[in-house]
Amino acid sequence: MNDERIPNMLSLEEEQLAEATLAGIGETPVNQALPPLQDGAFQHEQVAMTPIIRSEKFCLYYGAKAGVRDITMDIYPRSVTAIIGPSGCGKSTFLRGINRMNDLIPGVRTQGTLAVNGVDAYDRRINLVNLRQQVGMVFQRPNPFPKSIYDNIAYGPRLQGIRGGNDLDEIVENCLRHAAIWDEVKDTLRKSALALSGGQQQRLCIARALATRPQVLLMDEPCSALDPIATAKIEELITSLKNEYTIVIVTHNMQQAARVSDRAAFFCLGNLIEYDLTRVIFTKPVHKQTEDYVTGRFG
Amino acid sequence: MNVALRQWLNRIFTMAAILAVAMIVTALVAILLPMMWRGAGAVVFGGTVEFRRMQLEQFNRGDRAALAAQVEATNQVRARAYEILDRFVSGIDTTALQTRVRQIHREFTLQMNNRDLPPQTLASSRETSKQVRDQLLAALETTDKAVALAALDSVDAHATDGTLKDTAASNYFDVARQYRQILIRMDPAYRGEYAVALGEVQEAVKRLFGPRPGDRLPAVVMDQYGATRWDQAGQQLDRLLWAEKWESPGDGQPVRKVRISRADQFAGTEMAELFPYVYKNLRAMLLPERTFYWQFFTDDNISGHYFGGVGPEIIGTLLVTLLAIAFALPTGVVAAAYLVECASDNLLTRVLRTCVNTLAGVPSIVFGLFGLAFFVIYLLPRLGLPEGSSILAGALTLALLVLPVVIRASEEAIRTVPRAYKEASLALGASRFRCFVTVTLPAAMPGILTGLILSMSRAAGETAPILFTAGVAMGPIPTSLAQPTRTLAYGSYDMAVGDKMAALAPHNQYGIVMTLVGLVLVLNLVAIVVRARVSRRLRGQ
Amino acid sequence: MTQISQPDKRAAAGFDQPLLLTPAQDWVGWLAARAGKALLTLITGTSVVAVGLIFIFIVREALPFFQSRGISEALGSTQWYPQAPAGHEEFGMLALIFGSLDVTIGALLLAVPTGILAALLLSDIVPFRARQAIKPIIELLAAIPSVAYGFFAVLVLAPALQQYLGLPTGTNAFNSAVMLAVMAIPTIVSVAEDALSAVSRDLREASYACGATRAETLLKVVVPAAHNGIIAAIILGMMRAIGETMLVWMASGNACQIPTPWWDLSQSVRTMTATIAGEMGETPKGSDHYHALFAVGLILLVFSFATNLLSEHLLRRSHAKGGGHA
Repeated sequence: MNDERIPNMLSLEEEQLAEATLAGIGETPVNQALPPLQDGAFQHEQVAMTPIIRSEKFCLYYGAKAGVRDITMDIYPRSVTAIIGPSGCGKSTFLRGINRMNDLIPGVRTQGTLAVNGVDAYDRRINLVNLRQQVGMVFQRPNPFPKSIYDNIAYGPRLQGIRGGNDLDEIVENCLRHAAIWDEVKDTLRKSALALSGGQQQRLCIARALATRPQVLLMDEPCSALDPIATAKIEELITSLKNEYTIVIVTHNMQQAARVSDRAAFFCLGNLIEYDLTRVIFTKPVHKQTEDYVTGRFG
Repeated sequence: MNVALRQWLNRIFTMAAILAVAMIVTALVAILLPMMWRGAGAVVFGGTVEFRRMQLEQFNRGDRAALAAQVEATNQVRARAYEILDRFVSGIDTTALQTRVRQIHREFTLQMNNRDLPPQTLASSRETSKQVRDQLLAALETTDKAVALAALDSVDAHATDGTLKDTAASNYFDVARQYRQILIRMDPAYRGEYAVALGEVQEAVKRLFGPRPGDRLPAVVMDQYGATRWDQAGQQLDRLLWAEKWESPGDGQPVRKVRISRADQFAGTEMAELFPYVYKNLRAMLLPERTFYWQFFTDDNISGHYFGGVGPEIIGTLLVTLLAIAFALPTGVVAAAYLVECASDNLLTRVLRTCVNTLAGVPSIVFGLFGLAFFVIYLLPRLGLPEGSSILAGALTLALLVLPVVIRASEEAIRTVPRAYKEASLALGASRFRCFVTVTLPAAMPGILTGLILSMSRAAGETAPILFTAGVAMGPIPTSLAQPTRTLAYGSYDMAVGDKMAALAPHNQYGIVMTLVGLVLVLNLVAIVVRARVSRRLRGQ
Repeated sequence: MTQISQPDKRAAAGFDQPLLLTPAQDWVGWLAARAGKALLTLITGTSVVAVGLIFIFIVREALPFFQSRGISEALGSTQWYPQAPAGHEEFGMLALIFGSLDVTIGALLLAVPTGILAALLLSDIVPFRARQAIKPIIELLAAIPSVAYGFFAVLVLAPALQQYLGLPTGTNAFNSAVMLAVMAIPTIVSVAEDALSAVSRDLREASYACGATRAETLLKVVVPAAHNGIIAAIILGMMRAIGETMLVWMASGNACQIPTPWWDLSQSVRTMTATIAGEMGETPKGSDHYHALFAVGLILLVFSFATNLLSEHLLRRSHAKGGGHA
């Protein structure tokens, strides 16, 4: 199964590469002001799709300290957007800002707007429950609940009031299949999720996130706690999921960003330095800082 | 300072520290072990046939036919002892013989009257009989052996008297013979002395075997049975075999206790036979069997804890404790949830924490006073309940007492739930309430449970707060929460200090304490196991 | 395979849940949050209310005593004769206060050195595994009900004292002090051990590096560094001892007197707690005696409140310090 899929993935990237090259991107600097975007490729794509997440001068402070400053970027549906940057640069803060997970930390303030599907997530009238249902999240460390595999997946649907056994069974199976873990766990659905391996747990968490029918999937360094084989499986999964979901992934691992993402944003010290097609970021970055980082001279 | 000296000081210090821990552990062992061991004696012991009789008659428990056979068997062995005793009693106490003699005279007179004899003959024969009677009575009454024998001789002189022959009067000579026999082995001069010792022997026999068959049943239940336990039988046997006397050695020395063998005391009398007989046949007289009296934990007591068990005490303890927990647990968990999930470090939480700590530090007797003043006298009568101590008042008082324990344990448990669980739940679109109920609370449950069990053990062991709010030493089993109840803790106190009857049954004294300590220890062990399991599970992740 | 590559129909539905609340939802949500929080605060406030009620009701019942007799009789006399004929009762509490302090100090003299040595042993001398085994056993001692200790004191220790030490009575201050020490030790060990463990290893290593022996390191470096926690441990032990009722009631002999000489532990004394426990049951509600017993309770309450604040303060300081090292 793996053997079949990896070539596909590569060919997909080659296609995009070709497309990007045709459009002649990567020569003009980006991220001066958004919108409108100066970049040709973006303009090309904007015809087809409107951004699903649109951040405008978004700032987030922990008390007096700034977590991220003046982030202005658009995230497009059915694609993988990677956020890269050195530790403490605000990648995770921005990601967690999208579904307002930062609310848990006392003393958080925001400025600017961070619109999801055209609605500012920091609007006073926001329906947090619906927002988080539709903007799912996968965390750095696999964090299944100390319940059975089945109950883990069913947690979200149950919150939405789905009770019937058959409906629930169907959703659970569907999600587990989607997360490519069904074959491994279909006989042990009633066993504790904590008995699974780290990689399996992470895929279970992805399946759990899918069960609430999200449009956007936020992934906060989903592979940082996993071994290379499990990482490969998750990456493969991400590639397969991007046909249906908008995926935003924070990663430390630049090879991973290069492998799975369509676009990449480079953060440094709470600022967005550069945001472009992945291909461009990794081959012809505009900023010196970006180049230093992606070539490993800085970290 | 000299290095060697410093090394020595170091070693002494280490030894002192080891000694300290050793002392603590020794104290634990020295206090707990004998208490538990002797307490276990209330449940596992050698039960005699008397015990089984008591169980059958008081609790309707056991095999009636088998017991009847056993009673019959023991009665046969006991009969000999009673016979010896009776014979001796007749020597010591000649009242029975004297009555008999007077009876004979009356019978004789009646007999003569019926024979239609001439008046003179009648008068003379009555005179003779009277003479013999008085001689015989004199023999029976005197404390001088020689006088008695002389009197008996003069009685026997009438044996050939024609007027008395073949009449009721011939019985005089039977009595005389009988008494002569007794006199061979006993000097009537010691009659007074024997009387006291005999009383003691009779009492000891009664304590061993209960009332004799055919005697009137005593009103008090504890007197209706002999030694119900083999160890108790041993003590009674000791009282039977040995007399205790206080002896003054003179010279202003304090008096001291000396033990005298009863066999020596009664040496040369018929009674001397009794002691070796009972000693040798005690087992056959009581038929001890290893008894596992688990009903100790369910039976009510009889005769003030002399018989029976601690069932109502256990039920009362559980009632008060569980009710207290029912009040304290929801309140405590909610307060803990508030402290962890909602409150930041503001004035309210600081006040709250100080109050929880204060509550934890209030002496338990002050809780008792408060419970009396507030619940018993002020609140419950205003709610329409009768004034006076009640299970409800005690439970509410105990609830306040254990509230800080519950809050602290729950707070700790909720605080240590991994943040990842909460984040995962919120990210899936759970509201904070749903998140708490579906994820945080289940994950914190083992910790809360540990706190719950520990506070239960605390509540079960507390006595001072329920002294004036819920506890009674004696009384009926409560039928409503508005009535007071007996509890293990209060019962332990009462049986150790207040109850004089209980001192006669030390196994029951220790039994109730053993039950209390056992209950508390079991609860604590459960808590330790739960805690260990949780930490293992957390490490497993 | 096929499952994976098929687009999820459900996902294709787009944002089907409104992201904004309707005004009604908003309003209801706000109200529910407010109501929920108010309810939570109310339930949480139970302990505050309880503390308040305890103070109010104890003071309320004790007040008539102080009004009619004055504080001078309570604290200025040793004559406690509540059962005297009407009009001649006396309620001097000095002997009771002395009794409480007597047995408490006696207990602390035994318990503090033992407890701290044991805490040092557990924190620094024995290996971790042994510590894990011993600490629960010692904490088990704390769980045993005081009435069981009292039982032991009356039925085992008292006759033994009479028999082997030739004391005229076995239930006396010494008996109570020994048993109270056994009860207070677990508290002292537990809290002191926490404080000692909180002292950082750097400090110990620095001392060892200077060539100090273990005893010197512990006594001259670790114990001074943990002194706040240790004092708090002693205070907690003291509170446990002074507030103890059943044990002293059973074991102290309940003679309302200041022994002569005052330090003679072999004589019977009576504590404040035992007085309340022993006399409240037979006291008519509302009598002078009743109010006097509440006054004794108030003294206990104030004392425990004060020591509690002190220990809390010390524990906070010791935690702040321990945290600073770590």
